[in-house]
Amino acid sequence: MGGLRKRDWWMVFLFVLPVVVILLAISIFPMVYSFYLSLCKWDIGMGGQRTFIGAGNYLRLFSDARFFNSLKNTGRVLLFGVGTQFALGLSLALLLNRSFRGRSLVVTLFLLPMMISPVVVGCIWKIIYHYQYGPLNYLLNLLGIRSVNWLGSGSISPYSIVLADIWEWTPFMVITLLAGLQAIPDDLYEAARVDGANRWQIFSGVVFPLLRPVVIIAILIRVMDAFKIFDLVVLLTMGGPGQASESVAFYNYLTGFKYFSMGYASAMSYVQLAVIVAIANVFLRSFKGRAVV
Amino acid sequence: MRKFLLFLFAFVLLASVAYASPVKLVVVGDAGHNLKPFEWYAKDLKEKFDVELEVIGVPFGELYEKEKVELIAGTGAFDIMIVFPKFLAEFAANGWLYPLDEFVAKLDPKLDDVTPGYRDFYCKYGGKLYALPYDGDVLSLYYRKDLLENEEERKAFKEKYGYDLKVPETWDEYLDVAEFFTRKAGEKLAGEVLQRDFYGTAYYGQKDQIFAWWGNIFASLGGVYFDEETMEPAINSEAGVKALEIMKEIHKYCPPDVLAYGYEELKDVFLNGDCFMVIQWPCVGKKGADPAQSKIVGKIGVSHVPGVKKDGEIYYRAMMPCGRVLAIAAQSKDPWKAYQVIHYLSVVTSLDDVSTPETGLDPYRYSHFAHPEAYEMFANVEDAKIYLAGVQKNMEKGYPEMVLPGTVEYEETLGVALTKALTGELDPKSALDEAAQAWRDILERFGKEQQKALYQELVKGWKAVGLW
Repeated sequence: MGGLRKRDWWMVFLFVLPVVVILLAISIFPMVYSFYLSLCKWDIGMGGQRTFIGAGNYLRLFSDARFFNSLKNTGRVLLFGVGTQFALGLSLALLLNRSFRGRSLVVTLFLLPMMISPVVVGCIWKIIYHYQYGPLNYLLNLLGIRSVNWLGSGSISPYSIVLADIWEWTPFMVITLLAGLQAIPDDLYEAARVDGANRWQIFSGVVFPLLRPVVIIAILIRVMDAFKIFDLVVLLTMGGPGQASESVAFYNYLTGFKYFSMGYASAMSYVQLAVIVAIANVFLRSFKGRAVV
Repeated sequence: MRKFLLFLFAFVLLASVAYASPVKLVVVGDAGHNLKPFEWYAKDLKEKFDVELEVIGVPFGELYEKEKVELIAGTGAFDIMIVFPKFLAEFAANGWLYPLDEFVAKLDPKLDDVTPGYRDFYCKYGGKLYALPYDGDVLSLYYRKDLLENEEERKAFKEKYGYDLKVPETWDEYLDVAEFFTRKAGEKLAGEVLQRDFYGTAYYGQKDQIFAWWGNIFASLGGVYFDEETMEPAINSEAGVKALEIMKEIHKYCPPDVLAYGYEELKDVFLNGDCFMVIQWPCVGKKGADPAQSKIVGKIGVSHVPGVKKDGEIYYRAMMPCGRVLAIAAQSKDPWKAYQVIHYLSVVTSLDDVSTPETGLDPYRYSHFAHPEAYEMFANVEDAKIYLAGVQKNMEKGYPEMVLPGTVEYEETLGVALTKALTGELDPKSALDEAAQAWRDILERFGKEQQKALYQELVKGWKAVGLW
């Protein structure tokens, strides 16, 4: 590089310029501008003036009960949704990590929910959850269980969203963990068996440590995705009843694009970003510290 | 030279093709049955006005933000917009809509034929005309007249409540009738064993419109949105709390998932024959007469929404939520052609559009009420007359929806608070106090003085036409 002539430097600059311009325009500028907005009061309902208020929006967030409610609902999706997806995904991946007739077909069928458009998933579950005519309550009734108010109850509707999310995204866990399992060489299993390890010892001593990086990445991807859950909320409950099932992303959308409080919505986005970056860091540290491969 | 002539010829050819092409106008509205007229008359409109329509449907609850985002950004994405009056004021105040007054002299929209509520408040802002009416929404009471007339039920009702079973006129009667007809599967209704639960009533439970179902009660108790002088929210007044307490009682006789109900669910629970009565928009009456959409054809009665008894008279007020109007974006490519299109739909074809069960559009012109024979879905003209008289009865006592800038947010925060009380999360007074505080915040953000002036102007207008 040190030997480049001045003319060559210009060429380098010219080649890099489009990328820099595009990056500045579509990534850096919106980030900087939205951060600036988060420090301003800007309600554009009536073409309102933008006023710099410093940390005012961030302080308002900490006293906004609706924001904390949405955070709690998002937390439910992370804890119960992603947690169940991982548990189910790992179990199914272990079952599918052996050869049997029709395995390819079974794997493909398992992937179907993930392949369906999220809007269609929402519509399907809206029908499934219908109180009077939904197949889920019909089945429960056949088992002698009373109909459940899946979408009209403030205490149940957040979990109805979690259930639909589990159905939609467990296949992602299955396929990712299955790929990880298949990357483990057979001779390691054989060596463990030769050493007299039982199934649990093989799983806990060989399989899981080797699978850990894949597990961390799979959970991290799902956590980041689930933190932004929006489509199922809109399609199933619109955040209702009232605000009972609002997620952070949905409340952020309402603030920005229904109430048009752009400064406040930007501040909310940055808090979301901070939370997700913190979670990602925790996962990545554990990835660095304990990775075996 | 030959090349130049060839180029010139091609240029002239292209220019003439472009000149001869119809103007393309983009229409946006809430998706579904209310956009159908734009499709039905697309050919006529092309022939008459040389316009080609591109129709974009967006979900009912998202129309405001979809339109506003494009208007703020000044993209010029839309020419004709279906607008709900609750956001017309905001759009007009920001200069995003094209004032129509200049066109009125050229092509008369026959506003004298439009009932006052829709004409004066849903289409105008600051004295200027910004839209033409398209849909005359007012809430009305629909009930199962076959069950009401059933001798067995009448006898049982009188035994239980001590007075004759009749169309409920007061909220107390409404509660009695709702309670009486709420039955479990396996119980009998009009002599027949029910295969599934049957409910006394239901309401629109989603947070965007629930205010209107509470509003019917609130308004009949004399409630107002704001104190005119101080602009202090009045929704947490005695009338507001009492209305919410009544609504909590009504909630007991509704399907358990009623808080998830939007327009479709509320329509379906009634037209599927699972509920005795609902307060709904007028289109439910005409759809209920259509065998393709209703299981209770010929069994529906219509009346005014209940009220309260004062000095021996029933005082009732029917909320007028939604009430679609047709507006033209200030950045429209061709406002005059767009006006011709909306004029055609608001004046020329409007009777056809409001009198078919294919749309959710409801009568808003005196001429719509004067032609019962047009409502062919009813078994006979007499039935159509009864339907129209019922709607008109509510319209005369209509309680206008607030049309201040910020109304979308006012209504939704109120909806959230109402739901909190209905789910038992808060008591009615605390819930409404919370909503009132949210309203104060919105007032401040939109400018209290400006809002006050607009509200006072609105009230003055409502009073002038007898709606206040």
